[in-house]
Amino acid sequence: MKISTLLATVAGVMLASSAFAAEDSIRIGVPVGLSGANSVVAPSVVQSAELAVEEINAAGGVLGRQLELVIADDASGAAGAQKAFDSLVFQKEVDVLISMETSAARNAGLPIVSRGQVPYIYTSFYEGRSCNPNLFVDAWVPEQQVPPVVDYLSADGAKKFFLIGSDYAFGRGMLEFARSYVESTGGEIVGEEYLPMDGSDWTAIISKLKASGADALITSTAGGAPNVTLTKQLRGSGVELPYANLAVDEGTAKNMGADAAGILISASYVTGIESTENKAFLEAMKAKFGDDLRTPNDLSVPQYEAVYLYKAAVEKAGSTDTKAVLDVLDEVSYTGPRGRIQMSKQHHAPLTMYLGQVQEDGSVKVVGTFKDVDPGEQCPEL
Amino acid sequence: MLIPANSAPSSELKARPGPFVPAVISIRNREPTAMTLLLDIVTTAAILFIVSAGLLAIFGVLEIVNFAHGAWLTVGAYCAVVTGGLGLNPWLALPLAFVTGAVLGGVTERLIVRPLYARPLDAILATWGLGIVIGQLITLWFGRDVQFTENLLSGTIHVFGANYSLYRIFALAAAAVIGLGFAFLMEGTRLGLSARAIIMNEPLARALGLDTSKIRLVTFMIGTGLTALAGVLLTPLTSVDPTMGVAWLIGSFMLVMVAGSSFGALAIACLVFGGAQVLVSTFISPILGGITVAVLSALVLRISSKGFARV
Amino acid sequence: MLGILALCALALVIVGPMFLDRFSMNVLTRSMIYAILAITVDLLWGYAGVLTFGQAAFFGVGAYATAMLFTQVGSSPTLIGLALVLAIIVPVVLGLIVGWLSFYYGSTPIYATVISLVFPIVVTQLIYSGGTLTGSSSGLVGYTGLPFGLEGFFRLSGICLVIIAVGALIFVRSDGGRILTAIRDNETRCAYLGLNTQRIKIVLMAVLAGVAGLAGFLFANASGVVAPENTGFIFGTELVVWTALGGRGTILGPVLGAIGIDYLSANLSGELPFLWQLIIGSLFIVMIIFLPNGLAALVLRFTRRGRSELPIESSPELVMKTSLHHKNSIDGPLLRIDKLEKSYGSQKVLQDITLDVSPGELVSLVGPNGAGKTTMMRCLTDGNESSRGVVRVAGKDIAGMIPNQIVALGVGRKFQVASVFESLTVAECLRMARAALETPSFVSDSDVLGLPSAAIEILQLTGLDQRLSTQVSLLSHGQKQSLELAMVVALEPRMILLDEPTAGLTKAERTTIGAILKKLTSELGLAAILVEHDLDFVRDISSRIVVLHQGRLVLDGSVEEVVNSEIVKTIYSGGDHV
Repeated sequence: MKISTLLATVAGVMLASSAFAAEDSIRIGVPVGLSGANSVVAPSVVQSAELAVEEINAAGGVLGRQLELVIADDASGAAGAQKAFDSLVFQKEVDVLISMETSAARNAGLPIVSRGQVPYIYTSFYEGRSCNPNLFVDAWVPEQQVPPVVDYLSADGAKKFFLIGSDYAFGRGMLEFARSYVESTGGEIVGEEYLPMDGSDWTAIISKLKASGADALITSTAGGAPNVTLTKQLRGSGVELPYANLAVDEGTAKNMGADAAGILISASYVTGIESTENKAFLEAMKAKFGDDLRTPNDLSVPQYEAVYLYKAAVEKAGSTDTKAVLDVLDEVSYTGPRGRIQMSKQHHAPLTMYLGQVQEDGSVKVVGTFKDVDPGEQCPEL
Repeated sequence: MLIPANSAPSSELKARPGPFVPAVISIRNREPTAMTLLLDIVTTAAILFIVSAGLLAIFGVLEIVNFAHGAWLTVGAYCAVVTGGLGLNPWLALPLAFVTGAVLGGVTERLIVRPLYARPLDAILATWGLGIVIGQLITLWFGRDVQFTENLLSGTIHVFGANYSLYRIFALAAAAVIGLGFAFLMEGTRLGLSARAIIMNEPLARALGLDTSKIRLVTFMIGTGLTALAGVLLTPLTSVDPTMGVAWLIGSFMLVMVAGSSFGALAIACLVFGGAQVLVSTFISPILGGITVAVLSALVLRISSKGFARV
Repeated sequence: MLGILALCALALVIVGPMFLDRFSMNVLTRSMIYAILAITVDLLWGYAGVLTFGQAAFFGVGAYATAMLFTQVGSSPTLIGLALVLAIIVPVVLGLIVGWLSFYYGSTPIYATVISLVFPIVVTQLIYSGGTLTGSSSGLVGYTGLPFGLEGFFRLSGICLVIIAVGALIFVRSDGGRILTAIRDNETRCAYLGLNTQRIKIVLMAVLAGVAGLAGFLFANASGVVAPENTGFIFGTELVVWTALGGRGTILGPVLGAIGIDYLSANLSGELPFLWQLIIGSLFIVMIIFLPNGLAALVLRFTRRGRSELPIESSPELVMKTSLHHKNSIDGPLLRIDKLEKSYGSQKVLQDITLDVSPGELVSLVGPNGAGKTTMMRCLTDGNESSRGVVRVAGKDIAGMIPNQIVALGVGRKFQVASVFESLTVAECLRMARAALETPSFVSDSDVLGLPSAAIEILQLTGLDQRLSTQVSLLSHGQKQSLELAMVVALEPRMILLDEPTAGLTKAERTTIGAILKKLTSELGLAAILVEHDLDFVRDISSRIVVLHQGRLVLDGSVEEVVNSEIVKTIYSGGDHV
């Protein structure tokens, strides 16, 4: 039958691709959006993971074994993530998954993680409250990111806030938290508007913003395109309000040129952090990737640190056994470019948050630092 | 409440504090003024018109839906990126895009569209496939990142008491130029006459000695050239990335379905549905506004299968 | 043959888990569910000619109905049963609504495609706006559904796929299933055979929406997660791509296309995400242009002779049927036209036409080009054509009726250019003409073909009875004309309308057709209205002649009266206007 020939061909391909894996290495699966919405940032995530693995291997590996990265494209969505997770967990049989992904991709992967029983360190900031015994998160949640922004704007005299977001879980999650936080600190929300994720016409929302009498704007759009369309159209309409963007990364800000100047961003990582660890990290990245270097950012640095956190956990547990690693993953810590990271709070990590402001040349200047901000109650049952 | 650990608010922000309004006076749900609303409607209609004009030129004459329309918008926008990369005046992107779009359109007509004139549904599919291919080629060439383009015009202008985006007002003028230019092309030139003959009765036109395959080629090239031009005109409003065109595809497709083969009808469709989109976005919800054009167009076509074509 | 294939496939999915690793099993489980969707796309697009991007939305609705119930309420056996019912019923209801929007008298194929694009966009937007109810962009995850393991879901999906594929194959090979192909070939002819094509397509869409919903139920259970992208139009286009590459109109082609491409992409796209899409996109364009029927067509071309060369033994046996229809006689004239008028704006194409036609009459409608003859035929078979006046068939005013309703009153129409079904066989065409009278079987193809004696006689006179299993596209022009006439007669009409039935025929063929018409009217009591240019032919067979000129009825009389009339001579010599 035709299908059997097809299967034979495909099986051949699969065997060929897994043949060159070293036998005794520790395999780290990285499902990531090489195509689709996340493909803008995914290469930087892969680069920082590669650096971490290279450094660790050069220093003798983990428990005497080498680390090996296995990358898979999740197409930034649920369907692709199922394929990627299936492939990594059951075909490539990785020991751990470490990656930055969309919430849809993470959710799609979790049942497979549970079925395959591997530890999973999620390295992307997200809307919070994703709880699974196998899941650890070393990036921020709204409780950590929003307060610095609002406090800063309030201290600057802002009382009336206007919120604009993309209509999806992250956009709504962030702004819901922002609304409650603004209201709890005595401010007022004079407008809250959403556009579909693929929407590109912000005309009506901008006119509402201009009519609202707001004195500050907070946005949380989907990364990449919506950020850029909104900012361009805001600037084109002459909106000059103090503007905090909860979802823009340094690289995108740079590409927007002068339009981005003045935007406030709140992150656990900006390239301008003045620490020896960060400087060493940036130099190592530059040395390894040269002209191909993708600007390290708030998604790629947690990826780098997560590899080190996993190394520490395996060394403490004395093996790569899933249960043993999960038991100690919240006890180990690593001091990296973002400072000391330990996923000790219900599988989430207290983080130092930086408030940055985009300059005319696209660089980000740190204007505020908030030490060890607590992630709050994320997963009380874990 | 968190206190900044090591820094006070920066002086840049202090320099432009928000207007001071006492917190006790709180007027909720303030709506834009009627003037702003009117400007929003006409400029939104103008942008929709610019984006769908090229699709209409092709559909109106050839009765082929170019589902690679989004890809041509993207190609046009990347012409702006290239122009900027070469350090040229950003306005030069307009002629560059028109030529690039037309040349690529000519190749496409010869190789892909021509065999499919008798199979319009298959033409939709083949051009959709072409859209995927162009998107991937752009990705391989330029990468996935959002690209930087220089603004054609920036700043705002006072129009009838409203402080309004200068570029959107310019878009209104651009739409008028495209619309009038096409009206002239169709009414005042030999090509237009031939194209109209094809719309009405192609076998007769051929019998009268018109080289219909050449007219089809030229029409397709004008359509794709216009679309690439529209791509440049979009750059000050949208992100430039390999998938930027897809967001505009469905809306312009629906508008063209409603308009049939008439630029006048397209202008009316853009005003009516663009207006509805702005009104729904302003007074009900921008999320519903995002699907207004598609849903209303479908309903209009259901009620009257000729849409606005009779206007 | 089909049975053996089905059993092999069943055996394969049942023993499959013993040989496959977990990864392949997981991927193939999903691929097989997608293949079910590809079958529904194939039935709509490959068979019925409705290009749709909307099947993904029905699938998504089924999947979300299941996942939302499990998440919000829970998952007892009763609830799982309820989820299954909801996952089918909700898409069916939506399918009826979308079908009603897409298919109405006069709707274009491209309009149905437009609706199939808008529908998933609206559904996806609703899901994004659904907050915790739908999980918005993150989808729903962490619910428990059917308590099967990996192997269980693989087998369940496989069994469902085999059952649905076999069901679809049986259906498309049945007499009833041929209706879809007939609609794709020539929807107008279907309507003029009395078939309500709109209703057929709406029902088809609703049923296939239900099947897509079932696939959604399987998917929600097997994958443990549902996400907005499962409902979007991009996924809808992927389904079309798989169907096109596999081979539309073959059922098995799309199944293999879906499984093959989805499985390969799971293996390869990780290594080369952009290149993979580039390859699929290019392949798709090439296929659409050069091989519109996909890989399956290529395979079929080499493995078996085309349908056009089916052996004569496979022809059904012709059986005479006593008439089923219009047994009761009617009082007064069969057709009564009163002050009929048709105008385009101020231009009057027909005016003040008043005419009665009784059973047994053979009325010829003559007049120069542009006199309004064909327009008048249209006004008699479509209740929305006339601008003013009343047309009654068998005593019923046809105003507002669509063609198939008028056919049901006993009117058969033969078009000027033979309107038949090019990709069906002669026998299948004739069976189509009986479909509105005797509902055909949807599971089998009958080996007898029951026709009224008059229709059989036409076939015998023209030799078509020896070519029942020949594909229509291979017939000569004259044979197609005869076939169409036989199809119209097979409707058992009270009245037949014929538009230039002898155009382009040989002398011998004309004589045959003339004899048949005379027999139908004088012996069987049918009424016939004939538009004809050949005045010799008209003189030989007519019982009455009506002359139209510039939209007016200028003469109505016996053959002798008209032929010798000065007015007719003037009109035909192109002289003075009357």
